[in-house]
Amino acid sequence: MRVDYKKELESAAKSMILVHEPDVLIKMIVRMIVQKVKVSHAGILLHKNGNSYVLTVSRGPSGIKIPAGFARMDTDNPLIRIFRDPVYRSLTNGGVFVCKEVLKQLSNKKLSAEQKEILKKALYQMEIFDTAVCVPSYHRQDLLGLLLLGKKEKKKDFAKDELDFFMALASDVAMAIRNAQLFKELENELDKKQRLFIHTIIALAAAIDAKDHYTHGHTSRVTSLSLEIARRFAQEHKDMINDSFLEHLHVAGLLHDIGKIGIPESILNKQGPLDELERQKMKEHPMVGAAILTPIKELEDAILGVKYHHESFDGSGYPQGLKGDHIPLIAAIISVADTFDAMTTDRPYRKGLSKEDAIGEIKRVSGKQLNPQVAQTFVKLYEEGKI
Amino acid sequence: MAKLLIVDDEVDVREFAANFFRKRKVEVITASSGEEAVEIARQEKPDLILLDIKMSGIDGVETLRIIRGNDPAAKIIMVTGRKPEEENAFEKCKELGAIDYVHKPLELDELEKIVFAAL
Repeated sequence: MRVDYKKELESAAKSMILVHEPDVLIKMIVRMIVQKVKVSHAGILLHKNGNSYVLTVSRGPSGIKIPAGFARMDTDNPLIRIFRDPVYRSLTNGGVFVCKEVLKQLSNKKLSAEQKEILKKALYQMEIFDTAVCVPSYHRQDLLGLLLLGKKEKKKDFAKDELDFFMALASDVAMAIRNAQLFKELENELDKKQRLFIHTIIALAAAIDAKDHYTHGHTSRVTSLSLEIARRFAQEHKDMINDSFLEHLHVAGLLHDIGKIGIPESILNKQGPLDELERQKMKEHPMVGAAILTPIKELEDAILGVKYHHESFDGSGYPQGLKGDHIPLIAAIISVADTFDAMTTDRPYRKGLSKEDAIGEIKRVSGKQLNPQVAQTFVKLYEEGKI
Repeated sequence: MAKLLIVDDEVDVREFAANFFRKRKVEVITASSGEEAVEIARQEKPDLILLDIKMSGIDGVETLRIIRGNDPAAKIIMVTGRKPEEENAFEKCKELGAIDYVHKPLELDELEKIVFAAL
């Protein structure tokens, strides 16, 4: 049955747009060529960073199999030069390089000795990979890759429409690969931004720890405890916690005490219990924290955790005296982690409680200060030996 | 005819490299593991061994040590990947008497030159 190459090309182009992973895309293209055109094998040499074209994939029903990443051609390789170097471009007629045609060309008297020499060397390279046809893939003037095709079934010659199909396909492939690479770069860039963001948050959090000597390490402990609680909580309340909740919680945990930057050090580092005035000042830190972060629109959800982590389930907390389920879950979780860590940490004027005593205390204030469901989750974590 | 032993645990690598050198009039034998390579090296006494560093079972470095221990005149070229741990391993291979190394992905011309220079 004859293959309608125009139709094949259209459907190939359509599916190429959908694939954003360069390696997957290349495998897909090679598989399609092998199936539709019935060649013994097909491979793609792809330009990687620097001066190399790496054989990214090579497969076929009967031809040689070359493992991905095994072979490369550098830019000084004759076969690469013939497609890359403007001096030699005329030899390829700007297009497909067919082994048989090249052999004919070698007896052309108009070619210089140097041109014949490079053609011979290029042919030798093709022979190494058992290649009958080479199809270049350009993006603007850059050679992005080379498609290497083995012999056709029953060693028939390639027809003109097949060669045209390869050229059209190659230019689509170049575009798709370029897109996929750009997409990948964008993703890497986003990852980098995400890391930059979280490191900035960690630096901010470190600023609080540096100021408040008694709570050294408190921030990171509360953050990891909060995340533990949330993951355990999710096992029984799947609909309430997703990945983005965990991300916000991570940030909120790190920043929950950021407002302490606005509290005088004399109060933060006082060697004894606080008096009433000092306590009032201290109670401002959730609001101060929320105010500091409000200009950062992206932190909207995390700010809830910062602002309300001192609210109590029975409504006796601060700053707003929210009650029960009106307290955002993110804040209720930080509240439990924060309470536990504060109780088990030594202060100059008192020793920290043991884990067992602190758990007892958590149970006692569950439903009063703490959200009972979250407190229960915390107790479970303790009983499972995870705290 | 010169005799070349190719050691790699990937069948496609072995077959491709073997064909490549057979076409160039080299007698090629292959081994799929370090253990097998040690045995074949002892029996066949190849003129040159191409030895992959990263293999399951005993790896290339260990295989090199054993083969050179059995036959201090054995000529061995290591084939390495670009990963740092493999690159670092080459210092060790030099101490153990490997004569050269090539990096994957390989420029096949270069591989050919290195192999023929050593044969």
